[in-house]
Amino acid sequence: MNFELTEEQNLIRDMVREFAETEVAPTAKIRDEEERFDRALMFDRLAELGLTGIVFPEEYGGAGADYISYAIAVEELSRVCASTGVTLSAHLSLCANPIYLFGNEEQKQQFLAPLARGEKLGAFGLTEPSAGTDAGGTRTTAVKDGKGYILNGTKIFITNAGDAETYVVFARTDKQAQKHHGISAFIVEKNTQGFSFGKKEQKMGIRSSPTMELVFDNCRIPASQLLGEEGQGFKVAMKTLDGGRIGIASQALGIAQGALEAAVNYAKERKQFDTPIAKFQGIQFQLADMATQIEASRLLVYSAAYKASHGISYSQASAMAKLMASETAMRVTTQAVQVLGGYGYTREFPVERMMRDAKITEIYEGTSEVQRMVIGSALTK
Amino acid sequence: MKILVCMKQVPDMESKFKLSPGALWYDTADLAWRMNEYDEYAVEQAVRLKEQVGTADITILSIGPDRIKETMKKALAMGCDRGVQVADDVAWAKDPLAIAGIIAEYARSKDFSCIFTGMQSQDRGSGQVGVLLAEMLGFPSVTTIVDFTHENGEYLVKRELEGGVKAIVKVKGPAVFTCQLGLNSPRYPTLPNIMKAKKKELLTIPVEQLQKTAPQQETTRIFFPEKKGGGLILEGDIPALADQLIKILKEKTSVLA
Repeated sequence: MNFELTEEQNLIRDMVREFAETEVAPTAKIRDEEERFDRALMFDRLAELGLTGIVFPEEYGGAGADYISYAIAVEELSRVCASTGVTLSAHLSLCANPIYLFGNEEQKQQFLAPLARGEKLGAFGLTEPSAGTDAGGTRTTAVKDGKGYILNGTKIFITNAGDAETYVVFARTDKQAQKHHGISAFIVEKNTQGFSFGKKEQKMGIRSSPTMELVFDNCRIPASQLLGEEGQGFKVAMKTLDGGRIGIASQALGIAQGALEAAVNYAKERKQFDTPIAKFQGIQFQLADMATQIEASRLLVYSAAYKASHGISYSQASAMAKLMASETAMRVTTQAVQVLGGYGYTREFPVERMMRDAKITEIYEGTSEVQRMVIGSALTK
Repeated sequence: MKILVCMKQVPDMESKFKLSPGALWYDTADLAWRMNEYDEYAVEQAVRLKEQVGTADITILSIGPDRIKETMKKALAMGCDRGVQVADDVAWAKDPLAIAGIIAEYARSKDFSCIFTGMQSQDRGSGQVGVLLAEMLGFPSVTTIVDFTHENGEYLVKRELEGGVKAIVKVKGPAVFTCQLGLNSPRYPTLPNIMKAKKKELLTIPVEQLQKTAPQQETTRIFFPEKKGGGLILEGDIPALADQLIKILKEKTSVLA
């Protein structure tokens, strides 16, 4: 067993960290305040660095790297800006990956390659007002009509929506079939007639990542944009989310790491009773717990990523990684605010933003409760 | 066109340094390692020259233990074509003359038309290797360059002198250039290029094969400077203070070039 990163993984970490610190970090605060998605920085630059298709083969515009490299990239981006981290994660794990896993050759050439090269931004539409955790409750419909399908319905809380060009969307193709069996996945492109965007969400955190509604009003999709087989949509969604959880776990890990570093730096500088507070055992114990939980999360995340790269079943591993990393992120960022005290509560320091950003990692791409269901049901099968 | 870039791996400068036992160098345990910052500009300039001339072959050379290979891979990912590691576990103890001698021994008869290196290393900082190497090869050298252009085998470079003065120097190749910070903007090694760097040639040569020049210096002790309190305090009325400040900024920094 080897716990060391490879030379390539180390180089990727150094490169993404330098980029993140030099280019992404300086505007993280203002983009959060303005709730502004800066595509040129948060996506186009990632494409130039070859990050938008990390795990896909070169023939589809990817870089041919492994899932650990991907986890490292999302972690390093999220260490300074969780919104940039989730932009990449949603694009790669939730949109490009299902096309790679379930698409036919024509779909891979037509849709995956431009996504992997970062010419197009991707998004994923599963959640609806009455279907989130319960994907089987999908009410959006896709009715076969001649050589295509007609979509009707609304998707909510969609990351990258509005700015993304390519969407993987789930709709019910068979109203008679049992809940999970009648759903199918489709690739829908922006500017398709009948496809528009609803309201933009005003969120607590990851405010520079856009979240919007997708509205389908008699939107006609050619049959060639059915992803996988008709009725296979639930499987597409579940497989996609297994991979997505590695992305969100990495995002949570990065947020926690950023908060720990901010807390350590502050504790070394801040003096009370003529002593840097880092010298007090009460502070040191908190920092020690934060660091230990982060390292445990990191091992779970990289272990799930290793399994994903080596064809080993990773559904349970990615659920554990996401559960642990997201709850660690929430705990660690809250503690970081506590270490910084009054300053931590102000927007002058980044830890309050990190605390707001951390919360969503316990919710999206499967709440902590769903992760426990996945792990628990595997244990008791 | 064959180009050589000489690169050194140095510790992250934000590391906490401890002296090694015997106090002849710093303790190398538990340090994170980076490419010497000045050498990043050298690598970038070599890659830009290659992009300008179309066909060129860039060799990245570094002397040191096995861990330097990771930093060499960064140079390969930035666009160098092949790497030469001169394997030497005690490179840290060698003086600039011995280091330049090893490089010269390798570079002689290799027909390099252009050699780039940083103007100094961030750890030893002697600033001598580039010029000594040029002397040994019989090449002209231009130091502390801040701008570089090439046309028909002739190089037009800008040098930085003291007090904010610059000089333009014209030189015919083969020549050695030592690079100052700000010469260009070193590129990030992109992820696809990191993956491709794996497949590039990285040759290892035992230092014994190239070590022909005897050192002439010996470091007898290194130590931390005594801590001095405070910074520089300027005195006088406001116009005088401003003049003093401008003078310092011009002479000691590149803020007011």
